[in-house]
Amino acid sequence: MGREKEKEKPSEEALNLLRSRLSDPNFIFRPLSDSPDSNYSKLKFIISTSVTEACNNSILLLGPRGSGKVAVLELVLSDLLLQYPEAISVIRLNGLLHSDDNCALKEIARQLCMEHQLLFSKVASFDDNSLFVIAMLRECGLAHKTIIFVLDEFDFFAQGKQRLLYSLLDAMQSVNSQAVVIGVSCRLDVDQLLEKRVRSRFSHRKLLFLSPSKEETERLMEHILSLPVDSSIPHNYAAEFNGRLKKIFSDERFKELINTYLSYNFTIGHLVRFLFQAVSYMDLDVRFLSHENFKTALSSNQRQPKLECIRDCSILELYMLVCMKRLEVKEQNSYNFYSVMTEYKSIHDSSQTSDNYAANVCLRAFEHLLQRQLISFIDNKGHNQSVEFRPVKLLISSAELHQGLKSYHQCPAILLRLMDR
Amino acid sequence: MDMEGSPQVTRRTTRSCAVSSNDVESTKPSESYKPTLNDLAFGKQPFGLEDLLSRFPCRRTQILEFLRLLGPLNSPLFPVLVYGGPSTGKTSVTLQVFRHLNRPFIYSSCVTCYSPRILFESMLNQLLFHRKDSKHSYSSVKRCERPSDFVNYLREALENVISSLKGNSGKSNSKMSGRPDGTMVYLVFDNLECVRYWDKSSTILPFLFNLYDILKMPEVGLIFISNISPDMYYLNIGYVEPIPLYFLNYTEDDLRHIFMVNQTNRKLYASFLDVVLRPFCRVTRRVDELAAALSSLFKKYCEPLSDKEVAPNEEMKRKLFSQIRPHISSALNETFQVRSQPLLGAEANKTKKTNSSKMSGILEDFDKIDFHMSTSAKYLLISAFLASRNPATLDASLFDSTGVSDSRKRKRKASEKSMDQKEMAEQELHMKGPGTFPLERLLAIFQCITSLAEDSLDEEESRELTTEGSSRGLMSDVLLQLSSLCNANFIIKGGSCPLEGSTRYRTAVSEDLALKVARSLKFPLSKYLYRR
Repeated sequence: MGREKEKEKPSEEALNLLRSRLSDPNFIFRPLSDSPDSNYSKLKFIISTSVTEACNNSILLLGPRGSGKVAVLELVLSDLLLQYPEAISVIRLNGLLHSDDNCALKEIARQLCMEHQLLFSKVASFDDNSLFVIAMLRECGLAHKTIIFVLDEFDFFAQGKQRLLYSLLDAMQSVNSQAVVIGVSCRLDVDQLLEKRVRSRFSHRKLLFLSPSKEETERLMEHILSLPVDSSIPHNYAAEFNGRLKKIFSDERFKELINTYLSYNFTIGHLVRFLFQAVSYMDLDVRFLSHENFKTALSSNQRQPKLECIRDCSILELYMLVCMKRLEVKEQNSYNFYSVMTEYKSIHDSSQTSDNYAANVCLRAFEHLLQRQLISFIDNKGHNQSVEFRPVKLLISSAELHQGLKSYHQCPAILLRLMDR
Repeated sequence: MDMEGSPQVTRRTTRSCAVSSNDVESTKPSESYKPTLNDLAFGKQPFGLEDLLSRFPCRRTQILEFLRLLGPLNSPLFPVLVYGGPSTGKTSVTLQVFRHLNRPFIYSSCVTCYSPRILFESMLNQLLFHRKDSKHSYSSVKRCERPSDFVNYLREALENVISSLKGNSGKSNSKMSGRPDGTMVYLVFDNLECVRYWDKSSTILPFLFNLYDILKMPEVGLIFISNISPDMYYLNIGYVEPIPLYFLNYTEDDLRHIFMVNQTNRKLYASFLDVVLRPFCRVTRRVDELAAALSSLFKKYCEPLSDKEVAPNEEMKRKLFSQIRPHISSALNETFQVRSQPLLGAEANKTKKTNSSKMSGILEDFDKIDFHMSTSAKYLLISAFLASRNPATLDASLFDSTGVSDSRKRKRKASEKSMDQKEMAEQELHMKGPGTFPLERLLAIFQCITSLAEDSLDEEESRELTTEGSSRGLMSDVLLQLSSLCNANFIIKGGSCPLEGSTRYRTAVSEDLALKVARSLKFPLSKYLYRR
């Protein structure tokens, strides 16, 4: 493997570099955080003042998924840890994992033990853990060490009785402690979910993370995808790569493409994923990114899953779907497999087609449709009835069905006629 | 059995205990296999790209796209969701791609790991190189039920594995067989759609999709394989979606390519496919179902040929086509089952006997049920069917003390209005499904029918001396039979009666099956069925 690394083509090296850049949130969000009124600076100011002035604080970071809340927070924390190495310790909780109070307190105790090299006992009870946490808060407060609690998916902590939040915030207020509670959430109204007693102890500071403007996005893309000229990649290759990239970016079609993508996926996280796809489609023989890569990435994101399902169906399955559609049109609200079979037979009686199959084959096609989730049972409690008698509903609209039939290769004409009537 | 060897045992031993106790002493307990880091690779010799593409004849674009998404060695990866219909090759392509790349991965399927705890423990077992064996009573290496514990253990295990991989890659010549390449570990989750039906699916599904963000380890790649499209996974909580990779169903030409692979006589099989493939593709396009159906049809197709290696010319093709044609339409109406061997042999015998009418030979098979049931179970099945189909008020007249049903009464001419009413009633019957009945009614009908059967058997015995193994008196525990029928889903336990609270039952067999069972018992079912 060592020998192969030396012969590695510059295009492969470039590909590796771009892919690792795109997967690294620190690299993506650092340029956005350079300006003085960015969220980065505000957050850094708040936390560093709490550290230096030895006071408690709480703040909420809000914004849609992928807008960089946790990434910016990690940037701030890593910078502060460099600045004040002994004065900060960070505890990270996640609402998906630790919404249960027992779990959460155990995790806090475990992380505190790990930071301060204490032994953590797995069988400690809830009371033991809570006493321990309060004691640690007091000790850290006396030692002028700030504990920063990062609560990711904050809306999960706000479900139920909010015991954890209350005990944390209460401890912050009563005990002589220095703590900062940072809540991160995608719900913009998460502070409305808090109970009265919790909300009164929470400072109403919020930082909103919005998507960047168009110029900022373009600058970001160029920054991410341009190869550095002074690295192990050969200089002329990097220069040519960047030149071609600039040409692609200034092309009108590309601007249109990016606008289409960003019109419904407007966060940086989505953009980064799109660029990752485009970069991975780069053809190593061509050695440079091309407009085609971006177009392929866009089309793979613009899938229409139900139409693809229809295209994958066999003709018998299409018959079943059309029969169900006709039953719906006849305003028969609930139908099951037998009603569909009666409709199917009546179609064949009226217009002698060649596709008349027996009931067991039709039942199997019906079960295939259930598996692909084009139809589903109306309720999940009907397990005391066999499959043929349970009422079903269509999960595909008539417009999609129509479109699917039109684009189906060699669709029988009778199906289209039946749909039109 | 060696009586002198066994010690003075005061407690009862079963026969199997006594037999095996001697064997265990003679053999040493075998060394259990200890998995190592090399087990994370596929295990067999990796092969080149052309080999990989030739194994999957019509999957070239998908394989190349997958390889491009995985990227070169040690390159980080966003989560990928591979989705497509069943039997389109998603799992096999994924596994063979990892064999080609020779990178370490762990695989867990949400069908075999049917609860979160089993899923978590199976993944930890693979990462911590633990194999369940009898020494530790088949327990996992760590007990892990909650996602929070799982994340902590997973992070530890992954860090260990990655550091040992990094140590390995420092040494030269890691193309030695068995040693995986690179420093990235890939986690493959198969059959993700099963998670939607778990109890805790509302927390586990978002957890799995957010696992990449929670772990924040760039050396870990996540790959999800699912039968349903990503839009069916929309939940209350969002997530940045994984990169989708779609495996579309094979078209007819693709299917032709796939079935031509590994055929010895290609021209013969090609002529067979020309005739057969198109009608079958109208019914189903799944490879597994088509393969089962086409293999048995191909045997019939080749029957008249004395030399199986010959390449057919036009005339031979026409002859073969006319011979196979009646079989095609009947085969299309079968749900493609792979029959057990004895039935195939019996089928061959039957078709040899009835040379004149080959169609009847096939129809005869449809009349027989192809599973075994005891006689009393068959009677119970029929009684359940009757109890569900007939309204309870008719029981007295149908099963009166002489056991003779009087169907001659209902021969009135049907008027227009009553025909319409009949249709509506039938439709209603089909919508509602079979009715429920309490246990007592089932047993009462069962009693009546079996007393009938005993009488008729007595009559028959006086004529013939041989009985085909059916017992005269049905002396089995009826309630035991009933519970085994419930477990086999022939009878379903319905809701309970609102007044009394006792459980009610419902039949789950179709009329065809009930008729087949009745025919095997020579029971006149149609006389007892209530038709409006």
